[in-house]
Amino acid sequence: MKSRSYISIYFDDEVPLLEAVRILRDKKETIADVLSPFPVHGLDEALSIKRSRIPVGGFIFGALGAILAFGFQAWVFTVSYPLIIGGKPFFSVPTFIPITFEVTVLFAGLSMVAAFLIRSKLKPDIRFEPFDESVTDDRFVILVDASDEGNTLERVKSILSGINTLEIRK
Amino acid sequence: MDEQFDFKKKYRNILMMLMTGGILVSIAVILISKPGAARIWANVLLNNQYFLGLSLGAAFFLAVHRVSQSGWHTLLQRLPDSMTTYLPVAFVLMLLIYFGIHNIYGWTNNNPTDKVIEGKRAWLNIPFFFIRLVIYFAGWIVLTRMMRKNSLSLMTSADLKYHNRKILFAGLFLVFYGITVSASSWDWIMSLDAHWYSTLFGWYVLIGMFVTSLAFITLLIWFLKRLGYLKYIRPDHVHDMAILIFAFSIFWTYQWFAQYELIWYGHLPEETSYYITRLHHFKVIFYINLGVNFLVPFFGLITFNSKRHIGWVAIIAAIVLIGHWIDYWLLIMPAAAGDNAGIGLLEISMTLIYGCLFVYIVLRSLSIGPLVVKNDPYILESMNYES
Repeated sequence: MKSRSYISIYFDDEVPLLEAVRILRDKKETIADVLSPFPVHGLDEALSIKRSRIPVGGFIFGALGAILAFGFQAWVFTVSYPLIIGGKPFFSVPTFIPITFEVTVLFAGLSMVAAFLIRSKLKPDIRFEPFDESVTDDRFVILVDASDEGNTLERVKSILSGINTLEIRK
Repeated sequence: MDEQFDFKKKYRNILMMLMTGGILVSIAVILISKPGAARIWANVLLNNQYFLGLSLGAAFFLAVHRVSQSGWHTLLQRLPDSMTTYLPVAFVLMLLIYFGIHNIYGWTNNNPTDKVIEGKRAWLNIPFFFIRLVIYFAGWIVLTRMMRKNSLSLMTSADLKYHNRKILFAGLFLVFYGITVSASSWDWIMSLDAHWYSTLFGWYVLIGMFVTSLAFITLLIWFLKRLGYLKYIRPDHVHDMAILIFAFSIFWTYQWFAQYELIWYGHLPEETSYYITRLHHFKVIFYINLGVNFLVPFFGLITFNSKRHIGWVAIIAAIVLIGHWIDYWLLIMPAAAGDNAGIGLLEISMTLIYGCLFVYIVLRSLSIGPLVVKNDPYILESMNYES
């Protein structure tokens, strides 16, 4: 199996980074990854990354939580253990609302965290070796896939000649 | 950047015609079906309160964003700014209540056997009622005029002192408004049921006001964009308006439920009387109110894409505007007009009169200057805003 090799392009600001991402994609270079110390506005659009589907999961689990909480209370207070509280009927919807609301929020919140962790393959014993420690501080890096034929390094250098890069290396 | 809204004669004529039509229909209904003085005055109060809420909510919108120094609303700040110019008119219209005060406010009629109201006499008496009314309006009008004049100065001068003053005025307005909006809602709405009280009432009315004015600002954006103005208002700005409508509709429901739940649970006769009047006689409207003001904005604006299309958000905003009119109707009518209350031609025509007057004043104030305060320091931030 051929080992994968990358060209890394260093920046010290996000503005030239965004510009470089757009130009590279225009020239049909394959961008493997972009590393940045903080979320860059507009980077998702520039890389054509689809919007996260986590809110959908949040909605589904929230609805599930609402149904479960309401159903459980309805069952407990009418079938399993009916109690007269304050002279109210056994099935009194207003008393169920606060708990239904809380469980909805809990389910939606926890399910979104869980979905994020699973999709990002994050787990407690994860080993993470940073590509370059400076990207956790003040450097921005674009990784271009260089495993295809031809001299990618020269090509990338010529494409990005007009942009303020710090360093381009294999 | 210097585009200016042209309040064409065509629009003025349409508004004038609708208003005249509203007046004629109202007079005809009053003469033919004789709805009774209480219902007519309750209608005046309802519309006073509703359109006053629109313009106060707009001032609140501006003040909150200015105090928090937010940038995104800078491009559309002239819209709520114009809505506040209705306040002097609202003042005059509210003074009209003087002529009908005995018809709708039960506490104005002396009844020494009524111990509860006699105990509240220190607050609920006619002279003090009007003194308070003048104080509220004086504060609101003076502060919003100062806010407006200041932001109009920013259109011609780039002096940073106007920007700093903007924040100061907004802070002053918020403090005054926070106190007076509660007190005014006790005076004008809660005292209709003079025996009843709810400590949450001021908040509930405040949030209702804020939601209506958010919806109205959204409709204004939609209207101006349809005419080809406000090209620079992008889906990101619409998104934020929609988020605010969504969030504050939920918050309104929260307030509604908090008030209902406690009264339902406590089951004290002096508290439940309020809901019994409304639930026994106006059950359908009672549940429509909750459905329209909660379920429609909640499911209508829940997804990402639905918040970014001005056409769709405007539809939801229009429904919310009608929904909150129904909410005010439920607050005022059952107490003021009693069994006589209903939603009929009289309500629609009188709301039409007020609505046309309000829109006329807002559009006229909007047309006196460019649609953008171009010397505002946050203008670039608002231009490049991404939600």
